[in-house]
Amino acid sequence: MDLQNQARSKELAEQFGKDNVVVLLGASEPDSASITAETLTLGDPTFAGPLAGVSLGLPVYHVLEPEIKAEIAPAVYEEQLAMMEMVMNVPKLAAEVAKMRVQVGN
Amino acid sequence: MPVLTGTAYVLVHAPDVLRHHGSTQVMEQLRDPASPHLARLGEHLRGYGAAMAYAPNQAFIGNLDLDTLRQIPRPWYDTSLADSRRFGPHGEIMPQEELYGLLKLADSFDLVSLEQDFSREVATLLAAHPDLPPALLERLGQGLPGDELATLVTAQANDEHAATGLYLGQRLVGCVRRAHEVDPNLAAHVMLENLTTKATAALAVFHLLKSSGAAPDDIDYLLECSEEACGDINQRGGGNFAKSIGEMTGLVKSTGSDVRGFCAGPVHALLQAGALVDSGAFRTVLVTAGGSVAKLGMNSKDHVAKGLPVLEDMLGAFAVLVTRDDGVNPVLRLDGLGKLDIGAGSSPQQVMKALVSDPLTRLGRKISDVDCFCAELQNPEITEPAGAGNVPEANVRMIAALAVMAGEIDRAAIPDFVAAHGLPGFAPTQGHIPSGVPALGHVRNRMLAGTMRSALLIGKGSLFLGRMTNLFDGLSMVIDQNPALALSARTSGHLSGPEDLPGRAHGAGVMRPAVPGSGQPFRVAVPLLGGEHGPAEVLAGALAAQAVLHDVEVVVIGPAVTATSLTLVAAATEEEGRVVLDRMLAEGQVQAAVAMHHCFPLGVSTVGLTATPARGKPLFVACTTGMSASQRVAAMVRNAVYGVSAAKTWGLADPTVGILNIEGARAVERHLKTLVAQGYPLTLARSGRAEAEALLRGNDVLGGVPDVLVCDSLTGNLLIKLLSAFTTGGGYESVGWGYGPGVGGEGPGIVNIISRASGAPVIDGAIRYAAAMVRGGLGQRTLDELARARAAGLDAVCAPQTGQPSAGPAPLAAPAKKIVTEQLPGIDVLELEEAQRTLWAAGVYAETGMGCVGPVLLLATEDLAQARRLLMEKKMLSV
Repeated sequence: MDLQNQARSKELAEQFGKDNVVVLLGASEPDSASITAETLTLGDPTFAGPLAGVSLGLPVYHVLEPEIKAEIAPAVYEEQLAMMEMVMNVPKLAAEVAKMRVQVGN
Repeated sequence: MPVLTGTAYVLVHAPDVLRHHGSTQVMEQLRDPASPHLARLGEHLRGYGAAMAYAPNQAFIGNLDLDTLRQIPRPWYDTSLADSRRFGPHGEIMPQEELYGLLKLADSFDLVSLEQDFSREVATLLAAHPDLPPALLERLGQGLPGDELATLVTAQANDEHAATGLYLGQRLVGCVRRAHEVDPNLAAHVMLENLTTKATAALAVFHLLKSSGAAPDDIDYLLECSEEACGDINQRGGGNFAKSIGEMTGLVKSTGSDVRGFCAGPVHALLQAGALVDSGAFRTVLVTAGGSVAKLGMNSKDHVAKGLPVLEDMLGAFAVLVTRDDGVNPVLRLDGLGKLDIGAGSSPQQVMKALVSDPLTRLGRKISDVDCFCAELQNPEITEPAGAGNVPEANVRMIAALAVMAGEIDRAAIPDFVAAHGLPGFAPTQGHIPSGVPALGHVRNRMLAGTMRSALLIGKGSLFLGRMTNLFDGLSMVIDQNPALALSARTSGHLSGPEDLPGRAHGAGVMRPAVPGSGQPFRVAVPLLGGEHGPAEVLAGALAAQAVLHDVEVVVIGPAVTATSLTLVAAATEEEGRVVLDRMLAEGQVQAAVAMHHCFPLGVSTVGLTATPARGKPLFVACTTGMSASQRVAAMVRNAVYGVSAAKTWGLADPTVGILNIEGARAVERHLKTLVAQGYPLTLARSGRAEAEALLRGNDVLGGVPDVLVCDSLTGNLLIKLLSAFTTGGGYESVGWGYGPGVGGEGPGIVNIISRASGAPVIDGAIRYAAAMVRGGLGQRTLDELARARAAGLDAVCAPQTGQPSAGPAPLAAPAKKIVTEQLPGIDVLELEEAQRTLWAAGVYAETGMGCVGPVLLLATEDLAQARRLLMEKKMLSV
């Protein structure tokens, strides 16, 4: 996860409070989704960015996970996301991201 | 439409440039000179042999077909291709030593210095290069002693950016100096990047000139589309790479400019090239881009960490040539563009819709109609270890998903769609280089070979990197097999590859034209657009004719979307169809046509054929359009000869000829009888009325008394409309064979005219009538018929009569003949020849002709305005 996005996430979590923030990922690669989720939950595993040693514990979802899909108006989902649902490995992405939620009890 | 006349691709192996100047390494060096990555990097760099034999690189220069590449199991870096070569049909893979020499050749400001011994070595290497002009090599010079060079580069440590070294392993063989003491835009590393872009693009241009056969003087304009910027502190991206590359490659008759758009830049440049050619601004535009030093080894940390070779050790460059339509090369469809508007969304789905669905919908095509999607052709072996996945595959998967959403394919068919319509990634990750353009060489080969009909070129750009906007960019363009070639490849069946094409010839030699009257099979073309009853009506007529004509292939010209079992040549508009038809006739690809419009020259008129109501007997109406002579009586006499010729070609041994009792009929009767008396074999019909005269009345027309009815064109036109539409109330012509073939001309092929109101039965009839004229050899028969009439005094009876302006004005020499493509209507038929003389006297070349709605002068485009002015001055033209 790049340093600018780490900084922005940290700033937003502090501004609105951890309980009022949910993070949605759009990543297409399970590996990168996993690292991003870990960074936003437990902290930067590379210890390079603003979230090094900072455990925000934010609930992180991939935008294609069923929980999120259920929250989106079907017409909007069809227009913006239905194509990518066919393209991406949704079960794997969801598993990688959900793993982090389970780990911190989100 | 513009066409893609040539492509060239080059790679340069540059491992030491990667080590010392690639952005990842430079930043690592600044952060941590003792970096473990830099320490391990050397072990992961490839030698030239391995880089050259790397399958994706061989594919890049055209030595390996992309289907074959796909068959080679990955990892590709584990497999050295046995028959790999430095040079390929599209270009070459240059070693690093020669790159350094090339940098010196590209250096106009003495910024590059090579070490003396190395300079001699590289001079020998470059002298052996087949495509570099010897005069250019003189720029190499003597070089510097090694110690002077070392001092220059060591000075960099003390005086930042003084000079930056060029290495072969540990050996310092040259340097690039800064071009200004403090200006960061002219710093040594910037000059190295810019000179590398210039030099590698120039190398691609040299290959393009060779492979396309274009002469340097042929190139009018260059567009350079890399991602570098050249300029100084006052104009960081002032340019102009394009002209510097043109200068280096000797394109002295060209000028140019730079186009930028991140990775989408090449597609933007190609669009602009096509538009410049299509507008007529330039005939030949070259698009080129050089390689990126900064991106060498961009993902090397991932590669080193995963124990892989550092595969980003290649600089890439390309050059492509865009010219006017030559009837052979693939067409850039400027009406098939997809663009990501500023106001469009940026979700992947919105982007793909704009770039894929929108242009195809505009052309009336489905997603699965595209044979090949050329998007983001990054080599997956480079991107996958860096976490970016298989980029080309991901793109085509998205396109397949769009096809699922459009109901074209099942979701389960996505992998098959990706395999069938996608390409394997094979391009180095040099930003702008992978953006679809590397596929053009392969696409062009396949289209020339007749194994691909349509491709979609897609470029995408991440504009946020410039920090001016968060917008995403994308541009796409449909590329089609040339319609003229598509036709010949599908019907002649003997095109096996581009080598069958005669050099830069224009489609000649790929067709087997039928000799009229020879009994060989032949083709009749029918444009579908322009009719009042829609293209489906025309198509129905074409299908009906094809069903009964076994020696004819009916070819229709119309929108590519048209679903038909007939051979279809794509033309999006009526005008485009007209151009396509004219070319197909001129090149002998079709032997006849049935069209709603055709401009016949003066001297030609059309002989219609209809069924007369009383007995259904066919009647040739001579004539229905066109003008066989400018004088009424002479025209009608010639019409009689033309009518006889058409009727004999149709199969009547001795057609009877009747003269319609209209103005001038008596004179026509007298002349025809004179011809008969002087030996012209002609049988005059007798009216069915009590007088039984040779002059016929309206009753005789209804009864079909003669075989050939002679009249003037306007009357004949009126008659044929009456007789073909009187049962339908007038709006739909349902009876007969149409307005007939143009007779008396020398133009290629036979063109039968129908009207915009003609219905399917008349169109069916017109195709059969045209086919009969080809089979019977109308052209030769008319020449024979005219020869017989001339022998009996045709020219004398058609000469102006006594009392009329004597022998006419003195003959006037015509100005030099030009290609006339413009029509100037509005001149009275009686003044047409005088108008032509007026223009000739002023040095303007003009021909007379008959357009759809009356007489026209035919002019070259550049003369149109002057001709209009001259004729308005003479009051021959009112507007």
